[in-house]
Amino acid sequence: MNWKWSSRRVALVTAVLAGLIGVAVLAGASLASSSSHRSTAASSSIIVDGTTDSVVNIDPANQYDYGSFTVDLPIFQGLYGFPNGAKLQPVLATGCKSSPNLKTWTCALRRNVKFWDGNPMTSADVKYSFDRVQKIKGDQGIYTLLSNLKSTSVSGPYTVVFHLASPQSTWPFILSTNAGYVVEKAKYPFNKILSNTDQQYGTGPYKLQKYTPGQQAVFVPNTNYWGPKPKNGGIIVNYYSKSSTMKLALEKGEIDMAFRDFTPTELASLSKEKGIVVHSGNGVVIRYLVFNVKRAPFNNLAVRKALAYLMPRQDIASRVYHGSVKPLYSMVPAGLPGHTDAYKSFYGAAPSVAKAKAVLAKAGVKTPLAITLWYTPSHYGDVSADEYAEMQRAFNASGLFKVTLKSAEWAQYSSTLGKTYDAFQLGWFPDYPDAEDYTVSFYQPAAFYNNGYADPTMNKLIAAERGAKTTAIRLRVLGQMQALAAKQIPTIPYWQGNMIAVSKSDIQGVNSTLDAAFYMRFWKLSKS
Amino acid sequence: MPGTSLRAYLITRLALVIPMVLILLTMVFLLMRVAPGDPISASLGGHVPPSVVNQIKHQLGFDKPLSVQYVDYLWGIVRGDFGTTITDHRPLSNIILVNGAATLELTFFAMLVAIVVGVVVGLVAGRFRDTPLDVGGRLFGIVIYATPVFFLGLMAQLVFGVWLDWLPTSDRASPITQATLQTHTNLFIVDSIIDGNWTALQDCIRHLILPAVTLGLATAGIFIRLIRINVIRTLRDDYIEAARARGIKEKDVVYHHAFKNALVPVITVVGLNMALLLGGAVLTETTFNWPGLGHALVTYLENRDYTAVQGIIVVFALVVVAISLLVDFINAYVDPRIRY
Repeated sequence: MNWKWSSRRVALVTAVLAGLIGVAVLAGASLASSSSHRSTAASSSIIVDGTTDSVVNIDPANQYDYGSFTVDLPIFQGLYGFPNGAKLQPVLATGCKSSPNLKTWTCALRRNVKFWDGNPMTSADVKYSFDRVQKIKGDQGIYTLLSNLKSTSVSGPYTVVFHLASPQSTWPFILSTNAGYVVEKAKYPFNKILSNTDQQYGTGPYKLQKYTPGQQAVFVPNTNYWGPKPKNGGIIVNYYSKSSTMKLALEKGEIDMAFRDFTPTELASLSKEKGIVVHSGNGVVIRYLVFNVKRAPFNNLAVRKALAYLMPRQDIASRVYHGSVKPLYSMVPAGLPGHTDAYKSFYGAAPSVAKAKAVLAKAGVKTPLAITLWYTPSHYGDVSADEYAEMQRAFNASGLFKVTLKSAEWAQYSSTLGKTYDAFQLGWFPDYPDAEDYTVSFYQPAAFYNNGYADPTMNKLIAAERGAKTTAIRLRVLGQMQALAAKQIPTIPYWQGNMIAVSKSDIQGVNSTLDAAFYMRFWKLSKS
Repeated sequence: MPGTSLRAYLITRLALVIPMVLILLTMVFLLMRVAPGDPISASLGGHVPPSVVNQIKHQLGFDKPLSVQYVDYLWGIVRGDFGTTITDHRPLSNIILVNGAATLELTFFAMLVAIVVGVVVGLVAGRFRDTPLDVGGRLFGIVIYATPVFFLGLMAQLVFGVWLDWLPTSDRASPITQATLQTHTNLFIVDSIIDGNWTALQDCIRHLILPAVTLGLATAGIFIRLIRINVIRTLRDDYIEAARARGIKEKDVVYHHAFKNALVPVITVVGLNMALLLGGAVLTETTFNWPGLGHALVTYLENRDYTAVQGIIVVFALVVVAISLLVDFINAYVDPRIRY
């Protein structure tokens, strides 16, 4: 009996060992051929991109994050967009004209546009796409971009008319957002979003061939594309949870490029490596400090002014970010039409302890004043801790403040913001690259961050900007808004990030897609 | 004391699974909601007005009383509907199939590594007690057991991925293989074999080596110590002495009698270590960008995705329960002395 049990165990152990030996043999064989595998990514015209972004929804009716946007950009298009640079251009439309009161916009559609399956795109698809976003009201909130859209109508197969609730001079910008992406009417249900693993139907230069959640997106060129063909044979986007793992993959040649995001330290290291190029262009991501203007001590304008005088923008940019960001003196990033260095005009380019001291003394504020600054390391990266440590160092060094730093995980942080925090870190990525998105979003009453700021003059300027009949008038109003905000300081902007992509040296065309539109135009990239 | 039948025992064990899973579900449900933050704010906060956030919470029923949400959730489970993730709208069934397959592949090979390393080192250390081999084996066992799995993973990446450049450091396969491999079972190695795609098979194995060895070694430490002790104890048993007295060669005594009996407790420990292995898989998967359930769990936890976290933890719990039942069954089968 005893021997019988032993036999079974022997069989078990033998099977296990045999399996392992088999694996080891195969592994050995693989190791021997490792060099041929290592060059896989570099051996075809397909470009492999790595990213730490994640994808929420591919269906444009519920897509409102950058990771999903990057997947949608090659496969969907709107009536307007930024196909060649930071300048807004008609894409699926040949142009849109507004009524004199800016409440009705009539768009003529481009002819002979087909979805990748060969079906023609008509005004019915466009109307359906807009109606669908408004009907679904997805939990990602993209429908809020269409909050000013009363209805959409068609006038023949190639004309679409948008009826707005209130005048909006920037409506073509809204048409360029994900909320305005056109989907094929016959393929998308009207009242629910498609799953990420369902086939998507767009008019863009690529077709999404395969999507494995959290792992990979595979794009192949759209053979029915109406515009210039992509310069590569396809794109594979590989998803990474950590930038350090992505860095290793790039260094080992498993991926051809990475967009985005590396830490400043990783970027500094990669920029010194042979065969790897760090590309940098104008960016539109900003960071800013928000004050709850209703609660002490930040309800005192003098306190906010003193901090504006002391903000160590240059030190943050150079010491913390190693030059991958630039000091920012307005909520509107430099490079966008309408940007003015409003905070620089009021508070200077460099910190001034003397001016900060004077403003606090004049207001009778007892120093050093104890303040608490909040930041989150889990949304804007671990580097946020260094960023705020730098701020703490500068404010404390002035002798005027005694700063306590506190942090919270994003899930908690995002549900709290101005409801609890008096001064806190936030970042902004635009819905569309226009100064309006960097002003109205922050200065309108009951803004998303709950900081209590509301000002009648600012409200009038917001209305004037939206109803501006000419670009010149609009830009002038935007300048006034920035000046007023710099005077009242509900926020202090401090840096503007560059758009950065890292590639192997054989990838061409990366620089041509790095601009203020913040689009990764994969179709412009090629492999030499 | 007379023992009950194996069948009755298994039925009792199966019946106990229900309250156990219910308690687990309740704890996870409550803990997720007690933790500050919520999935909608995590997804939309810092971008859209609070009114929109509240409206969406209302749409999804997050403003309902906790008791109502709990009953709704349990009712879904009873109907076999684990739901759809809140943050990226994936059906839990898809996560279990795709990510679960990745975890299964990793843990299976990690367990093989653990068993082989544990058995070989443990047997040698026990057989050559108090020799340099024993000291080396014990030291190795303690070091790999004490080393955090993520650190072991980072070191493996550095040495074999970067310095020696022998092996890839992340993912289940190279991007091109992943893009072109036909998925039948979501187990890449099995899929490669089904398709007869030997290039893909080699690629998948190369990607599997570092994570499987890392996770396997972390578990092997326990096996080494257990097997060593068992061998030492067995070598002192009366029947071994009797075998020696009958003039059986020492080699046969050790290899045919002592070692085989010393391995019996390993079956139990293999089962018990499954939970440890799954816990280690969370860290290993994160280190190697291995898209398994642990990797997904971390991501969904960060985003407070109630549905996803609850679903994945239930899957983990059920796997541990199933394996523990299986181990009991195997133990009872191979050793009739065992009664319950």
